[in-house]
Amino acid sequence: MLKIENQEENGHNILLLKGEVDASNSVILDEAITQLVTNGSKSILVDGAGLEYISSAGLGVFMSYLEDFQEKEIDMKIYSLSDRVFEVFKILGLDQLIRIYPDKKTALLA
Amino acid sequence: MIKLPPIHIGKLSLLLAILVWLALLFVNLVRLVGILNQMDPGIAIEFTWILQTLFFITIYGFYKHSITKSTQSDFLNLIWRGASTGIFAVAIYIIIELFYGSLGESKLAKDPFLETFFYHVHFGLVTIFLVSTSLLWQHLILYQKTKRVVKQWQAYEIAMLLAMFLVFFDRGANEYPFFFGLVLLGILAIILSTNLKWIPYLTFKEKWKSLLFLSVIIASVGYLIWRTFVREDQWVYPINLTGSLFLISLFWFVLIYAVLSFLVTLFNLPTSSVFEQKLTEAINFQRLSQSIQPEENEEQVLDILMDSCMSAAYADAAWLAMTSEEFPDGIFQERFIDRKTREEISDLIQQRKPAQEWAAEKRLDNLSPLTLRLDHPKFESVLLVPLVINKSIIGKIVLCKEVKDGFNKEMLNIISTFGRQACIAVENHRLLNQAILNERYQEELKIAQRVQKSLLPTRLDHNQFFDICAYSNAADEVGGDYYDTYKLDEDRYVLIIGDVSGKGTSAAFHMSQMKGIFQSLIQLNLSPADFMIKANAALGKCLEKNHFITASIFIINTAKQTICHSRAGHVPTLFHQVKENKADYLEIDGLGLGILRNMHYEKHVVEKTFTYQSGDVLVLFTDGIVEAKNEKSHQFGYERIKTLLEVYHKQNPPEIQSKIIDSLHAFVGGNGLIDDDYSIMVVKFAEQNKES
Repeated sequence: MLKIENQEENGHNILLLKGEVDASNSVILDEAITQLVTNGSKSILVDGAGLEYISSAGLGVFMSYLEDFQEKEIDMKIYSLSDRVFEVFKILGLDQLIRIYPDKKTALLA
Repeated sequence: MIKLPPIHIGKLSLLLAILVWLALLFVNLVRLVGILNQMDPGIAIEFTWILQTLFFITIYGFYKHSITKSTQSDFLNLIWRGASTGIFAVAIYIIIELFYGSLGESKLAKDPFLETFFYHVHFGLVTIFLVSTSLLWQHLILYQKTKRVVKQWQAYEIAMLLAMFLVFFDRGANEYPFFFGLVLLGILAIILSTNLKWIPYLTFKEKWKSLLFLSVIIASVGYLIWRTFVREDQWVYPINLTGSLFLISLFWFVLIYAVLSFLVTLFNLPTSSVFEQKLTEAINFQRLSQSIQPEENEEQVLDILMDSCMSAAYADAAWLAMTSEEFPDGIFQERFIDRKTREEISDLIQQRKPAQEWAAEKRLDNLSPLTLRLDHPKFESVLLVPLVINKSIIGKIVLCKEVKDGFNKEMLNIISTFGRQACIAVENHRLLNQAILNERYQEELKIAQRVQKSLLPTRLDHNQFFDICAYSNAADEVGGDYYDTYKLDEDRYVLIIGDVSGKGTSAAFHMSQMKGIFQSLIQLNLSPADFMIKANAALGKCLEKNHFITASIFIINTAKQTICHSRAGHVPTLFHQVKENKADYLEIDGLGLGILRNMHYEKHVVEKTFTYQSGDVLVLFTDGIVEAKNEKSHQFGYERIKTLLEVYHKQNPPEIQSKIIDSLHAFVGGNGLIDDDYSIMVVKFAEQNKES
């Protein structure tokens, strides 16, 4: 089960993820990000506080946008990940490519 | 040379009948000579009776054979045979009459020999006509065989056989036994004659024909009776042949059955169209209910449905409107109606409130055909028949009639049954096709599964300085996990374990690419880090945009007792060291393959070499094991594997492997399924000193 809430705050687009991202619902996450990209968002913040689990298919979604973000100069940050979910990012090495912060405050300041 | 023809019962009995008839004629002529000369010819009267009975039996045998042979239960043919025999007999009678007429008052006209000859001809004809016709009646009576009717007929045949021999006992005296037999046979004949079940099956036209033939038969019987019992009574013959109980009873039977058939057919005439209609409906129903073959299409069923509905309702025109995803405007099939009229009527129907409600009906089970009155110059009433398949309306049939209120309740009933039956047939057809398709997919998947299994090595390369075993399980038919080994030289071996993101078929395809890349790159004698860089470059060109592969590679040098390791985003490998007496995960950075598809990847790959001792254990696995969840949604986790290895590290690799897998299954629970691919590879280093 995955629920995505879309918020806008001071020019930042915030995606609140709740539940689990796996192969069956990674499309929803993909669509949500695509929409933001096509709408011309320049700053995407992903709130992972409610994220219980992310599978390799979910990581694949973030990964597939890395080049797009770079090209279109979109700023993406992820914050408030639980230890377990952060571990998954870290093992794959995505923590080196995506900027991940412990909470929203540090994410906005950085 | 005379070739003997094969014995033919029909021909044989015909020949016998002619011989018997000639013998009978001869005997009676001799007897006549005796009477005329007042001499006793010395021929007992029983002799004539025996010949007469024989004649009956041979004629019976002949017709029994010839009618059974040509038994095409076409009623009209049967009746026509009777009628034609009757016409034939009557014609001969009339020719003889004319012959006598032409003789006038000449001496020949009074000649007793000639008279006796013609008397025998009459006798023969009457017998032939009666026996053949009664055998035809037998076929009609036994058309719908029930035990009761068959028994009745057998009783009648036995009684008739007895009647043939009565003459031997009462010596032609026509006393009580004769009358008693006559009454009995008469009653039996009437009982048998009530079996007229063949009549309703005749069509209207056939009924008229059978009426004609039956009247010919009745007329023939009437004429023959008149000739036999009224006119010929005036003549005196040496012996009475036609007065036997057998013939008289046959006369009665043939006549009563013909008369009853005639009357019943006559009274059935007005209702025959109803019966025909019901018969067509039954046949149509049967055609619809025969489930269509997979190679046929639904249109044929709908065609039959249209025909059936139109004929059941006597509709003047009809069309079929199908709603389909491929044709949003609908598909139409028109019968006896042009497009313009159809559209006019469609518009009229849509204006009517009942039709709107009908079209909006949600409970499809209750949806039955709807009749409407219309204000159209040509068609004044229409009937809407829904076609409901799999709880959704796929279309409707509209039947039009030129008269007002042209559809009655019976028509509605039968048409709604037709509609339902046709829909079931179409539904079955669709399900069948789907089942066949699924079957094929299953086959294909089985092949894929077999091919993929063969991609994993059955023999793992190693030497005597380490033991190795591995196991892989896919969540679906095929999976994305991969492990392999390669022997670089006597001392150096490569181990790899990999995991494609996602699972199922797409993962399986990428896994096979991984195998190809590993097997080709590893031959270049690359260091682990170089291997990862080259593999990343190659996979960057193969993988879909949002797919990546994680992998861990180890080059084991058994001569130097070193391991060179690189990790590309894969779950860390567990290493148990005897020296430390504990297990630890190999901490090393590394990015998954296919994530950065440019030269920057080089910055994210690290290589590390470390030494091992005998007794040390390496456990390589994929995230399917770590992330396996139990009922409470808890993950199996890294700690559990680590603890298991610390407990069981003294055992050999297959034992360690099965301990971990068993414990994983126990954790997930009996019915819990591990919904990801998982693989494990266990390596244990042996005593170097011992071997060398």
